[in-house]
Amino acid sequence: MKLAHWLIAAAFLIALIQGPPCRAQTLAGSVTSSEEGAMEGVLVSAQKDGSPITITVVSDTSGHFRFPDGRLSAGHYALRIRATGYELAGPQGIDLGATSADVAIKLRKTADLAAQLTNTEWFMSMPGTAEQKRPLIECMSCHTFERIVRSTYDADAFVPVLKRMAQYANNSTSARVQSRVAARAVNDDAVHKLAAYLATINLSSGKTWNYQLQVLPRPKGRATHVVITEFEMPRKTIAPHDVRTDRDGNVWYSDFVENFLGELDPKTGALKEYPIPVSKPAFPVGTLDLEADADGNLWLALMFQTGLARFDMATKTFRIFPLPGDLNDDAMQQSMVMAGAAGVDGKVWTNDVARQSIMRLDLKTGAYERIDPFAFLGKGHMHAPYGMAADKQNNLYFMDFGGEAVGRVDAKNGAPTIFPTPTEKSRPRRTMLDDQGRLWFAEFAANKLAMFDIKTEAFKEWDVPTPHTYPYDVFRDKNGELWSGGMASDRVLRFDPQSGKSIEYLLPRPTNIRRVFVDNSTNPVTFWAGNNHGAEILRLEPLD
Amino acid sequence: MALDRRWLPVASFAAAAVAVLAAAQPVRAGGVNFGEDSDANDGPSYFGFVRDGDGSPVSGARVTAAPQAGGSLVTRSNSMGVYKIPGFAKEIDPKTVGISCTKDGYTQANVLRRGQADGKDPIEVDCTLQKQ
Repeated sequence: MKLAHWLIAAAFLIALIQGPPCRAQTLAGSVTSSEEGAMEGVLVSAQKDGSPITITVVSDTSGHFRFPDGRLSAGHYALRIRATGYELAGPQGIDLGATSADVAIKLRKTADLAAQLTNTEWFMSMPGTAEQKRPLIECMSCHTFERIVRSTYDADAFVPVLKRMAQYANNSTSARVQSRVAARAVNDDAVHKLAAYLATINLSSGKTWNYQLQVLPRPKGRATHVVITEFEMPRKTIAPHDVRTDRDGNVWYSDFVENFLGELDPKTGALKEYPIPVSKPAFPVGTLDLEADADGNLWLALMFQTGLARFDMATKTFRIFPLPGDLNDDAMQQSMVMAGAAGVDGKVWTNDVARQSIMRLDLKTGAYERIDPFAFLGKGHMHAPYGMAADKQNNLYFMDFGGEAVGRVDAKNGAPTIFPTPTEKSRPRRTMLDDQGRLWFAEFAANKLAMFDIKTEAFKEWDVPTPHTYPYDVFRDKNGELWSGGMASDRVLRFDPQSGKSIEYLLPRPTNIRRVFVDNSTNPVTFWAGNNHGAEILRLEPLD
Repeated sequence: MALDRRWLPVASFAAAAVAVLAAAQPVRAGGVNFGEDSDANDGPSYFGFVRDGDGSPVSGARVTAAPQAGGSLVTRSNSMGVYKIPGFAKEIDPKTVGISCTKDGYTQANVLRRGQADGKDPIEVDCTLQKQ
């Protein structure tokens, strides 16, 4: 027998020992309704009994869908769908055996369209001027608009509600409301004006709304080429705010309303929580900004607990950098931290939200210094240093979320420079600095993505495709595409600034996105974000 | 029809006034405090033209306004060569606010402050850049 024949025989024997070829487990099928027949752009989600992981795919132009091979193991799965205007008629679940399964999903018209609207769609539907609607972009921080439009308050009844809510901490969700210790002044006229407007868009004068409900179209084409994974948190009060991956592919998040740093194993959905010491027990807990330093250690801004925390990735322990007593009053709040270039001069940047100023921590002494970058500007304007980035010399670039500028603080002499954005009232929110010295940021109130070149000091701005999106953040990936999300549209935006082309991926459920992150180590890239109000972490894998 | 050079300052003031008025901001809602911004207690704002030696507008010039007390605000001239800068804190004496203009390929030849600050009236400061 020739050698080749021996090899073929050996391969045959190995195949016999291993048994029949292992067919990848998968689930496929079709989506139809009596109104539309085969339906494109319907999100089909499957969650195995007892698992915290839900996987979602989207039906194509023929109404077909298919879960990726190997993602689903044998067992019973609950099915759900998202297609605005429709609900799932059946089946509600499926038993997935050892082989592939096909399922014919039937949809029927919903009797409660209002329950399915996103904040963006409510914005589109509500009558009123842009000036009347503008204050509502703050409401999304804690709850959806459904709560407002289903209320029956008249204008007078709304006033105390608005005043009460202004005293809640920023880090509040419906699942965990936290009150500020230091009361905030509220503009009485503005509250009455807003109360009067809200009473025109809710159910205070009838059993239904006196305006037509507008909906956005379902995804189509490339927007259906995606796999979305939801990792459900074990408690409804966990509010993943900033989410990022580490060098080993593990996922880390800041919890906005509880004092933990969280670590998610994306392979199993298992969660570890690292408790952060509570230094001010009577004050709201939870953290916001989560950033990595050059060594890969994580930094957290401790909000109303005040100060900063560094998490050592090797020892899995925290070092807290507290504020001294003379600075640490009842209003003190740190929402941002930037330690990316701390190796240059041993300094870490943060902010003082209440006094609208920048703070800088000296790592050697533990002392904080205050820099007011707006001291020379007119005093009648709101300012709020927010998203931060540092260049290679540890000069700080920050977003003026209260106003309309990118700011710079010189690392050597602390001198501030203010660069107003081309669009007024833009309210830049979170940012990232790429390796070419370009700041990419979201203009929250202007519905724009923007870029500021720190070398040429030139701005570029791009409108997001859907009005009333209010982008919170933007991340530029290795291919030059921008990824963005926010609190309004339940969509992830993928935008090519070269061509101006965009894709909007609809998400399986109401999703309050804050910080966005892209893992460039995969191909295609992988998008990550938290669902701040939905107690879940979201992974979005584009298929092209 | 070419404009007589004697009328250039008048025309430039009129054009800039239109530009400033057109760009005037309404008061805005101020976020979770439901507050509103106000210019009432600010110092005077600034505006002006950036031109080359021939009097043609220079767009995209970097215009810096820097009070002696510290800090600086950087903006750009638009396609008409016009820039505008909001008022600084009222404690800042407008006489101590230096305005300068730069653009690659040009040198700053002249900065002309037209008139003096008078209360809330916008202050016009024009720049002339010379091609290198």
